[in-house]
Amino acid sequence: MKPLSHFAAVLLFLGTVGVAIVAAQKVFVNPHPEEHLKALFPKAVAFSPKTGEPPVFKAYAVDPKTNPNAAPIGYAYWTPELLPDEHGYHGPIHLIVGIDTAGIISGVIDDYDSEPYGYFSVEPPEFAQQFKGKSVRDPFRVGQDVAAVARASLSINSATRAIRDASRMVARAYLDPNAVKR
Amino acid sequence: MIRLASWSLAIATVVCTIAPQATSSSAVSADAPRPAYAAFVAAQPPGGGAAPADDPWGFEEEEEKVETWGDVLLPQALDISLTAAFLAFAMFSFFRKSQPLKYATLVLSVAYLGITKSQLVSITDLFRIVDWSFPTMRDGVTWYLFTGFAILSTVLWGRVYCGRICAFGAFTQLMDATLPKRLRIEPPKWLEKRASWIKYGLLVATVAYYVATKQFGVYRYVEPFWMYTRSADVVLWSMLAALLIATVVVRNLYCRFLCPVGATLGVLSTLTVFGIKRWSECKTCTICEKTCEWGAIDGPKIIMTECVRCDDCERVYADEKKCPHWLIPVIRSRKVAEAMAAGRPAPRFIELTRG
Repeated sequence: MKPLSHFAAVLLFLGTVGVAIVAAQKVFVNPHPEEHLKALFPKAVAFSPKTGEPPVFKAYAVDPKTNPNAAPIGYAYWTPELLPDEHGYHGPIHLIVGIDTAGIISGVIDDYDSEPYGYFSVEPPEFAQQFKGKSVRDPFRVGQDVAAVARASLSINSATRAIRDASRMVARAYLDPNAVKR
Repeated sequence: MIRLASWSLAIATVVCTIAPQATSSSAVSADAPRPAYAAFVAAQPPGGGAAPADDPWGFEEEEEKVETWGDVLLPQALDISLTAAFLAFAMFSFFRKSQPLKYATLVLSVAYLGITKSQLVSITDLFRIVDWSFPTMRDGVTWYLFTGFAILSTVLWGRVYCGRICAFGAFTQLMDATLPKRLRIEPPKWLEKRASWIKYGLLVATVAYYVATKQFGVYRYVEPFWMYTRSADVVLWSMLAALLIATVVVRNLYCRFLCPVGATLGVLSTLTVFGIKRWSECKTCTICEKTCEWGAIDGPKIIMTECVRCDDCERVYADEKKCPHWLIPVIRSRKVAEAMAAGRPAPRFIELTRG
């Protein structure tokens, strides 16, 4: 019995490693965020494909096909694309964030997460809603201007950092600092 | 001596697991920007003047980029030290084989690991292997400490984690200790043996389901550990209620028959380094087998995959008034004395061995 159970243990270990190798492909962000984009910018009539560095979707109030000089009214971006090293408790939290040209966050959507305690931290709509209307200049500190959630601090901290740092990256790259109120 | 060696091995393994992680994470405190962001900011073309003071954005956290280990560990210090203290207390109760200390450990487990922290080893920690995704060292010192302890203690002594660390197991054990015994039904041996295999099936099925669908939320349907977060829907609460009612009748039902984490640790426990020692008398005497509440003793053999190191049999073992191992030599010497007194030849006995 003893050698048999050792054999079973080795077999299970090898099986797990095998499964891990097969399954450990990178999780890519949702390739069809159209609905999210509309929700982030209800006034926009058109969106650019994902372009630029950092990669963003540009939102337009006037279709750039009819008016090529139209300026974007805002930008949407995936936090895990901008910040691949930002991990929550289990892994990257797939948030898509919208920011307008005045540096105000127009919305946050949790498209996918694998946080064990995500169901009472980053998934309830209250989490995303509290970022709507925040300025990119805000401190984004959990426990101060972002609500803390007991037992899920890793998830909340990571999601908040992701929104803050990704928004700052986009602001630095695309926004005019003079247009963003201090 | 052996115990000392095992401890140094334990510490060495933990250090080896943690050290590469620790050195690879350069950026630190909970609020500090992550490397990708820091690299992005550093690569920005300097606008006008190159000095940071002239940065037209001047976001506040960006000046905090130089971090020390103090910055990482300080916010987590209380959590780490309380967890370490709890684990130390649990091991103290284990080595003392003390029942009151064991129950104190169980109460602490429910109160601290359960209600306060909701930290339990979960099947989601196996999903981590599938995704090859672990918490960063700087945020997850407690996770590494806790999970490392669960694995290492299982390899060294068996399922100690199940027996006294896990906050759900602690809860059902406390239920068992406080509820009236007449409510309880002992399943027959044959059924118990077969039912103990369910957990392995559930483990394989759940991991396979996750690999196939990537639906992370499935874990809440196979393990009730979410109950400590006190946040769930009607279906989950009903499932939990059914499980707890069944646990009133069959003690530690979930741990013995269903728990996928227990199954994983059960597989690991086949490697147990320091098992329970038995004497040759155990082949015939079944007093420990009757004492075992986990169905982990089968005649002369301890089924390590089921044993949670609850100490019950070891306490019987140590009891010189109960365990025949201690009584037999006394009875034998009395018989020899009687024979000598009566002038008969001394009776011969089977030799007692330990193994």
